Amino acid sequence: MVANIANPDPEPELDLNQLMACPGCDLLLKKVAPAPGERIYCPRCDEVLHTSKKNTVDNSLALSLTGLLLFPFAIFLPIMTLDTMGLKNTGTIFDGVISTWNSGYFFVALILALTSIIFPLIKLLLLAYISLNLKFSRVPRHLPALLRAYIHLDEWGMLEVFMIGILVTIIKMHHMANIHYDIGFFCFIALMAAALGSSITLDKEEFWVEIEKGKKF
Amino acid sequence: MSALNATMTARDARLALCHDCRKLVPIPPETGAGFCPRCGSSLHFRKPESLNRTWALVLTALVLSFPANILPIMKVSFLGNSSSSTIMDGIIYFFQEGSYGIGLVILTASILVPCFKIICMLLILLSIHFRWQSWLHHKAILFRIIEFIGRWSMLDIFVISLLQVLVNFTNITTISADSAAPYFAGVVLSTMFAAITFDPRLLWDAGISTRPQQSR
Repeated sequence: MVANIANPDPEPELDLNQLMACPGCDLLLKKVAPAPGERIYCPRCDEVLHTSKKNTVDNSLALSLTGLLLFPFAIFLPIMTLDTMGLKNTGTIFDGVISTWNSGYFFVALILALTSIIFPLIKLLLLAYISLNLKFSRVPRHLPALLRAYIHLDEWGMLEVFMIGILVTIIKMHHMANIHYDIGFFCFIALMAAALGSSITLDKEEFWVEIEKGKKF
Repeated sequence: MSALNATMTARDARLALCHDCRKLVPIPPETGAGFCPRCGSSLHFRKPESLNRTWALVLTALVLSFPANILPIMKVSFLGNSSSSTIMDGIIYFFQEGSYGIGLVILTASILVPCFKIICMLLILLSIHFRWQSWLHHKAILFRIIEFIGRWSMLDIFVISLLQVLVNFTNITTISADSAAPYFAGVVLSTMFAAITFDPRLLWDAGISTRPQQSR
């Protein structure tokens, strides 16, 4: 949905509270708040300016806590067992990093550890902490820095890419061996859904406005 | 949504849009620098050294993509015989097996997406340098696609790490990563960083700068 505004102001006074700019093309625009749950676009380059989310603080808090709860189970419990010619082999997400490290590809192992374990964990911790504070209208001095850290880490947590990786692995192996899905598999799906949900329900603009409101320093 | 004026940018009004929290802050045009009062991030009219950094990263990705595709990425050993396969070998294998869907997914994530990203970033960078003003809107869309698809190229690395764990029947058959893996990860990383350092506003700056500007 594109929010439309009639009659552009012919003589703009540069009141900063009435203005916004497009991050994609720098066009100066009159500030419009999208209706809850709606999205507004730049008229010149169609960049998304703001996607409003309903109950963003509550939803992000709930989903990030869910993700944190599932996290150890999804990473350390076996995701599946491969069964071929009477031989069985079980693997966890964590084993993937360890075996890549052991095979001597330290750089690849590092990237794997960061994108599939460390960054997703840090993102969930940051979001849970930030939304918990905003829930109780507390804005400690370090909160803006933490939200900035979250924004920078956002695309480096790749649980959903890993999910597709698991599916591709299953399709690759299913005609060579019997695959048994273990408890970690279902925990990982739930973790991926919670982590994805927590970033979808996050309304960054709303979070910044809340932080600005509660700032006492 | 309404613009104040068809081409007036925040920079024209001496306002900088915070890279992190998107607050508009007035900064002196002489220094073009400052700090965001809301989030503490440093402010600039445009991302600093955007073109140089993006060129460096795109060229890095281009160089790394040769070893990533020529060297073998996966080693399969079966009863003492080991065979290595490149990314393309793996895809051809799937097509020969008749698994077209999965072959297409790997082809897209490992070959088409990285190629697409590098070619399109080169196109966008060249069009800024030579001030090609046509198709501006399409180039903006192209950049947003590049930003969005960047992370999906990691797919192959994840698949190999899982296969390495699961297909590990000592003395019978094992799978492990091979020499192209770090180069491939390097291509993905440098294209992702290139999308981060690139400032899409430069496209529009180059596009409208030859028209008479009413205010500066």
